[in-house]
Amino acid sequence: MPQHQISMVLDLNKCLGCQTCTMACKKLWTDGDGMDYMYWNNVETRPGQGYPRNWDKIGGGFEDGKLRPSALPTKEDYGQTFEYNYAERLFQGGLQAMPQEEVRNTPNWDEDVGALMLGENYYFYLPRLCNHCTNPACLEACPRKAIYKRQEDGIVLVDQDRCEGYRYCMRACPYKKIYFNELLGKAQKCIFCYPRIEKGEVNACAKQCPGRLRFVGFLDDPESAVHKLVHVYKVALGLFPEKGTEPNVFYVPPFNPPRSGSYGKSVLEDPRMPMDYLKYLFGDEVVDVIRRLEAELRRAQNGGASEVLQLLIGRDERVRYQIPKREDLIQIQGVHKA
Amino acid sequence: MKRLACILICGASAWAQNLLDPTAAEWKPAAPLTLALHRTPPLYPTDAPATNEVQSVQVQVLHAPAGNFARLEWADKTHDTAVLPKAERAWQGEHLVNQTPATDRFADACAIMLPSRPLVGGINPSLQMGDPDHPVHIYFWDSTRGAAVMEASGRETTKRTGQSFPAQGQYAGGKWVVTMQIPDLQAGASFAVAIWNGSQQDRDGRKYFSIWYRAQ
Repeated sequence: MPQHQISMVLDLNKCLGCQTCTMACKKLWTDGDGMDYMYWNNVETRPGQGYPRNWDKIGGGFEDGKLRPSALPTKEDYGQTFEYNYAERLFQGGLQAMPQEEVRNTPNWDEDVGALMLGENYYFYLPRLCNHCTNPACLEACPRKAIYKRQEDGIVLVDQDRCEGYRYCMRACPYKKIYFNELLGKAQKCIFCYPRIEKGEVNACAKQCPGRLRFVGFLDDPESAVHKLVHVYKVALGLFPEKGTEPNVFYVPPFNPPRSGSYGKSVLEDPRMPMDYLKYLFGDEVVDVIRRLEAELRRAQNGGASEVLQLLIGRDERVRYQIPKREDLIQIQGVHKA
Repeated sequence: MKRLACILICGASAWAQNLLDPTAAEWKPAAPLTLALHRTPPLYPTDAPATNEVQSVQVQVLHAPAGNFARLEWADKTHDTAVLPKAERAWQGEHLVNQTPATDRFADACAIMLPSRPLVGGINPSLQMGDPDHPVHIYFWDSTRGAAVMEASGRETTKRTGQSFPAQGQYAGGKWVVTMQIPDLQAGASFAVAIWNGSQQDRDGRKYFSIWYRAQ
């Protein structure tokens, strides 16, 4: 167990699906050789196929305490990477900018498709990154001991010198958030922007988020927004808790709106999206979370004060991020122990 | 004298090159030894039982003035290798980014393992990468990434030494022939062989292996 655990909470009610986080991460970390297909941070439409395709159905994680690795996703599952014919379009008078190859699948391939319930369409955006789990299946699966969890902040990293590219980690991760760089022969993944975190600076994906939906801090810091949202107000949940990895990225589930024509009804009375789907993603506890959120919303609508909704607005960075610098963290050790 | 030394070294080097050619005439008289291969069991309950596709490997050993050489030959229906663009270990920059061709393929490979210390009482190291009292050297050849010398003293301790060694591989007619120049492979030395079949997603401990043999 690490001494401290850094964590992120994402309020799905605020996600615009704009992919600014995806691009911030891509430009900062994955624009090198062999990383073309990697999106350490991606945003996918739910319900949908996800990235890589069907990652939520193929397996991974633990069952009865034992690893249950899945098959390896193929390059086709991650989706094609391709160039456009910009030279032809811009300099040779071509009519349209078109991909240079036929495109059959990409990350975010089914954006905004969603699904139907009682004839009404519903969907929401799910931004995803490595969950820096408390019980990482990737770490457990690696025979090289190349994956480690940092004591000081719980960030899970792949030692690029020890990694031999065996890809047991990819099979074991239930979230399929480890990627294989075939050119280097190494597994690579989200590093939770640790060089930024060590300087007290928030992750690039959070920094660039126009929807201000990301909260970052130490889960064991009682003053942090993430601690309050997860442990005090209990309105944020991890993905697929039954996979046994204890993820440290949490989501405030989508709880609005009720179906059209149902104004005034409880979202639990007439939900726009099937509650079973939310239970599938976040576990049965999601019903209680939505009930709590709805009660807070009612209180605010009736003129009352709701501390949790005020917090979820996340007006500025001081509200959303509480990241002590590395040297400060060393000084406060013991004070913020969970 | 310097000139003579140069002639001798160049001659030895040329001979070494020749012996790395799997079709070199020098291999013809070397007695082949057929080693039975065993398959490691599946690691996880979700792994399908692996079929025994590579049942044996033929080994020849040559001791020549240029060094000690091994020639491995085994049948493999699938040619699992890739020619990859050279990757820069750069996280960012303005260079042209080379694309990753695949995420789920594995390369055919082979290795010869030898004790890295003289045997005491004729006892060989553990087949599972040696043990703390009996460390091993592993001469590993990968059809995509080439040759690397490794050392180990038990399971999960294998590490690259940073050294390479002369080796050459050829695939034709459903067969691999790999030649290696291995300094430790002296007459009477113990050795064991491992084969990885890429199409069976072999890597790490998922492989075919022989028991210990002695080099003639």
